[in-house]
Amino acid sequence: MSLYAAAFGFGLVSLAVIAVGAVGFTMQFGITNLINLAYGDIMITSAFAAYFLNHAGVSIWIALLVGAATGAIFSFLLNRFIYAPFQRKGTPLIGMVIVSLAIGIMTSNLLLAFVGSDNVSYHQNPGSTVHLAGIILTTEQLLLIGVAVVLMLAIHALLRYTRLGKAMRATAANATLARNCGIPTGRVIDAVWLITGALCGMAGTIAAMNSDSFAVANGSGFLITILAAAVLGGAGQPYGAMLGAVIIGELTELSAAVISPEYKAVVAFSVLVVVMVLRPQGLLAKFGAMAAAG
Amino acid sequence: MTFYITTLLVYAAVDIIACIALNMQFGVSGLVNFGFILFQAAGAYTAAVLSLPPQSANGGFQQYVLGLQLPFPLPWIAGAIAGGVVAIPIGLVVLRKLRGDYQAIALLVISIIANIVITNARPFLNGAAGVSLVPPPLADQIGVEAVNTYEYQYFYVVISLLCVGLVLFAANRIANSPYGRSLRAMRENEVAAAALGKNLLAQKLTMFIVGGVMGGLSGAILVGFIGLWAPAGWLYPETIVLFAAIIVGGRGNNWGAILGAILVPVGFFEATRFLPNFGQPGLIPAFQWVAIGSLILGFLWFRPKGVFPERRRTFPNPSAG
Repeated sequence: MSLYAAAFGFGLVSLAVIAVGAVGFTMQFGITNLINLAYGDIMITSAFAAYFLNHAGVSIWIALLVGAATGAIFSFLLNRFIYAPFQRKGTPLIGMVIVSLAIGIMTSNLLLAFVGSDNVSYHQNPGSTVHLAGIILTTEQLLLIGVAVVLMLAIHALLRYTRLGKAMRATAANATLARNCGIPTGRVIDAVWLITGALCGMAGTIAAMNSDSFAVANGSGFLITILAAAVLGGAGQPYGAMLGAVIIGELTELSAAVISPEYKAVVAFSVLVVVMVLRPQGLLAKFGAMAAAG
Repeated sequence: MTFYITTLLVYAAVDIIACIALNMQFGVSGLVNFGFILFQAAGAYTAAVLSLPPQSANGGFQQYVLGLQLPFPLPWIAGAIAGGVVAIPIGLVVLRKLRGDYQAIALLVISIIANIVITNARPFLNGAAGVSLVPPPLADQIGVEAVNTYEYQYFYVVISLLCVGLVLFAANRIANSPYGRSLRAMRENEVAAAALGKNLLAQKLTMFIVGGVMGGLSGAILVGFIGLWAPAGWLYPETIVLFAAIIVGGRGNNWGAILGAILVPVGFFEATRFLPNFGQPGLIPAFQWVAIGSLILGFLWFRPKGVFPERRRTFPNPSAG
């Protein structure tokens, strides 16, 4: 039994990591209507930015903020100089998906050219272990869960109680109508890329902190897990992404304990396929904070 | 040098078949199949295990199912069929209700899952190491030594090119038929095509299977030539190279797909092979991928219709005659 309790504990950490990334991804999609397949590669780029700072002697927690900033600036510039011009040119949705995939491949390979393909890890202090009802976590893992909870509450507050959040929801529901109502949709979308980019960079860095070591090749794995969580909950729905993260995070770790660690990704993705067959709009399509996208 | 030329020609044939298959899906029917490489892999694995001896052979150093040692044309035919058979369940899952961009992502995810499963399930298809020592076609009739002659190499080129001809003929027949017209209608406007009574799911599924059969055949040809097939050879970026080829060549036009196949996977990767090695190992492949990405972006920006744009089909005005 203790094996399952321990797996549940690991599940808590990985769901926290997935939730941060999935909420960022799904907000990008919900508000800008763009499936950014370069997301995983931006995550790993941010993780490497944090890595270089960390190895220059900076604490990992400060490096985490730099990782977030890297993700934010990268995503913002990417939208300004690549995605937005292509969208203005009238590239269809599917063309944008191909564009983002091309950007993703270019990003990861440029990164590969600079940092090489070796596995690296942060200088970090996992802290003492905490035992609670069979769950064994380090203080660092508890802090990561705390960071994720705070971020989720912040996103909830942003969308529900601020003018910017209201403007974001309006832009997601109908961008043309929002613009006609006097909402500066251009600036809203800039803000969305900055915020979701920060979440992306943050997710990349904490995912790297949570794994023993990481390499450029992990970027696509990050992307797939986050896609699974976001699509499971209903793409474009932040609360759905949180729910999807809970399901995928726990399911991967528990199935690793029950079956075999090699198949943990497969189990999670099988759930995704089942959901796509039975409920293609995602679990929370009707109850989300934003109107159904598209 | 002869071996180099024949190798290049066989690779070109494989890539041309794959590009035509993907063009029938992406270019003509508007299906963005980000999991295309999966169908090539299905054909390659099927052809491999059907032409290999039972797994106890060669000292039993690899594990795989079947191992039937079937005579030559059968593994290729079975490979093509396997590509089509795999397309049916995947098509039914993905094509039924999902929106176009979701379909693309679902296919990407499926292709990555399949790669993980095959990598981890060693008894099935020898896991990460992949199947190797796949006997080339007719090797048991003419002997293993004869395989390394120029004659055999040219023979392989000829049968590969025959397959290209067959695939091109079939693809052009489909694209130019009334059925092809209704596929293009679906690509341009799904709602309008459905309103005219076209069964979109049936059309999409058919093209999924057609593309799967062609993809499977391309995999079978490739595995017969190189003799091995492993998960590292069918990662999802390989699909992106084929997309790049079609975008460069001209989507919707099978001749464009052929040109793209010759320019991008064959020409591009072969040309950069002769660059002097510099920097750390892996630097040149990394820059190749960057260049593939820039090629896609550049063409989508400056020439979204490709080098050979799809011919605009016009009809004579019936009242004029």
